[in-house]
Amino acid sequence: MKKIKNDGSFYLNPYLGGVILGTVLLLSFYISGRGVGASGAVKNTVAATVNAVAPQHVEKSAYYSQFAGGDKRPMNNWLVYEVLGVLAGAFISGIVFNRLKLKVEHSPKITSRRRLIFALAGGLIFGFGSQLARGCTSGAALSGMAVLSFGGYITMVAIFGTAFVVAWILRKNWI
Amino acid sequence: MIGPIISSGIVSQAWDNIFAVILGMGFGFALESSGFSSSRKIIGTFFGYDFVVVKVFFTAAIVASMGLLYLSYLGLVDFSLLYIQPTFLTSAIVGGIIMGIGFSMGGFCPGTSLAACAVGRIDGMVFFGGMFIGVFLFSESFPLFENMYYSGSQGAKMINSVFGISPEMFTFFLVLAAVGMFFGAAWVQKKVKKIEY
Amino acid sequence: MERKYTILAVLLIVLALGLVVLPKKKDLKEADPKALLSAITEKSRYLSVDLVTHRIIENDPTLMLIDLRPAKEFKAFALPGAINIQPESLLSVTTLELLNQPGKDKILYANSDLMAEKAWLLGTRYSISRLYILKGGLNEWYNTFIKQGDVSSTASSADLDLLSFRNAARQYFTGAGQTSEAPVAAKTPEKVNVVRKAPVAKSGGGC
Repeated sequence: MKKIKNDGSFYLNPYLGGVILGTVLLLSFYISGRGVGASGAVKNTVAATVNAVAPQHVEKSAYYSQFAGGDKRPMNNWLVYEVLGVLAGAFISGIVFNRLKLKVEHSPKITSRRRLIFALAGGLIFGFGSQLARGCTSGAALSGMAVLSFGGYITMVAIFGTAFVVAWILRKNWI
Repeated sequence: MIGPIISSGIVSQAWDNIFAVILGMGFGFALESSGFSSSRKIIGTFFGYDFVVVKVFFTAAIVASMGLLYLSYLGLVDFSLLYIQPTFLTSAIVGGIIMGIGFSMGGFCPGTSLAACAVGRIDGMVFFGGMFIGVFLFSESFPLFENMYYSGSQGAKMINSVFGISPEMFTFFLVLAAVGMFFGAAWVQKKVKKIEY
Repeated sequence: MERKYTILAVLLIVLALGLVVLPKKKDLKEADPKALLSAITEKSRYLSVDLVTHRIIENDPTLMLIDLRPAKEFKAFALPGAINIQPESLLSVTTLELLNQPGKDKILYANSDLMAEKAWLLGTRYSISRLYILKGGLNEWYNTFIKQGDVSSTASSADLDLLSFRNAARQYFTGAGQTSEAPVAAKTPEKVNVVRKAPVAKSGGGC
């Protein structure tokens, strides 16, 4: 049996990872009737924070009021708990495969600073888009595909199609 | 035990959030162990040097789809009780395009950025932090997008009905397409110049 | 390496193909034969005409009377509040939905017990609960309440109570003081709101 160096470079066979992920997804539907997600937790946190600071604003807002204000408890939400689990699970994987390391991962052709600026901007834009599409790659695309949702497939195609084009435009950042 | 077991009351509602954590852990572990804590690994799909995204994503989708359809056939899952992402055509497309831009700029999506955060990748943390700002901006400017947000509503439409075939038939074609993509990915990866990452 | 993946790919395709070629299962779940046998031998499915009439007069909301006779006979006379269902349509989706309504006792009747027995067996086989038979059917009902019977001189007090109940019921059905044996005109069957299976709390979702 080939000795696997546990220096943080070992990754699971992607098909195995896919099967595990698919099984988690399947269990999620079987147990809670829904798929996994991530951006929803961010939305709930934002809504809860704004509500704590300016409750009247939340009440008047057509968007926030759907999730917060009144006696709604946006933080006591399935997705928020699930996201905590994601952090824990990824952390455990990091320990097992010796990948815990505080660093900025970037192409050697650019600086850390540039990477972080793009990460921030990318996150911002992504966050914006996720609200419009009512989901992200995990919630809308992946979970949507699992139940054959038309909207889920559309979002998936839109994300990956656009990302492919833009990645090439920004290729200096990556390769 | 007919799923979803929380909705049908076999397991009490109080357990729902506990299962959320456990399922999240499985999700997070699967993501990180497959390499999704590395933005350069993720972006590799678009440059042909690492197709982990395609392989994991589509394998998960077909495993889950086939699994649900088989469970439904065996009467173990009531498909009508599952949450199906409703279709709002305009916002799904526009939102998807915007997310695609953010994805290729940041090299992450929310789930993978969480995995990156958990193992100490600062770029992941910054991405995730950026999301809060983006969500906030959207929420504040919602009136500008309200029309788009609600337009094109088609309810919980399923993709197989667009082609006029059964869910099972669609999934069959999906599996064929996915297998084709996997072999294609292996072929491309051999041809592309090696990148250190 | 390639070989391993080819095998897995073939396995996947076969599984997906399996989904397509498996026959569509029928929607009706059949009851276990042993359970069916014990239900048959139990005999608690019979309800006496007295009991059912009592519930009719009391306007018991859990009562659902099902008349299995041909439409013409139903129009001529039926028990108050009864619904007419033709035996051939017992397994149709709408009928099953009707019969599966929660909170109601479904009492089958026809002129005699025969058709009601068959309908009961069919329904019980498909796990429909709270299904009963009016013992003796309409014939029994008619003999008990419409035709006046003779009081036996050795009747016990319980019998006498029963008799006075029957007399009162007769008046209820045929009008006060009437001794005519003309049957009562059928009341228009009440509109039954089919209670769709209550939507179980659908889980939330979205990202």
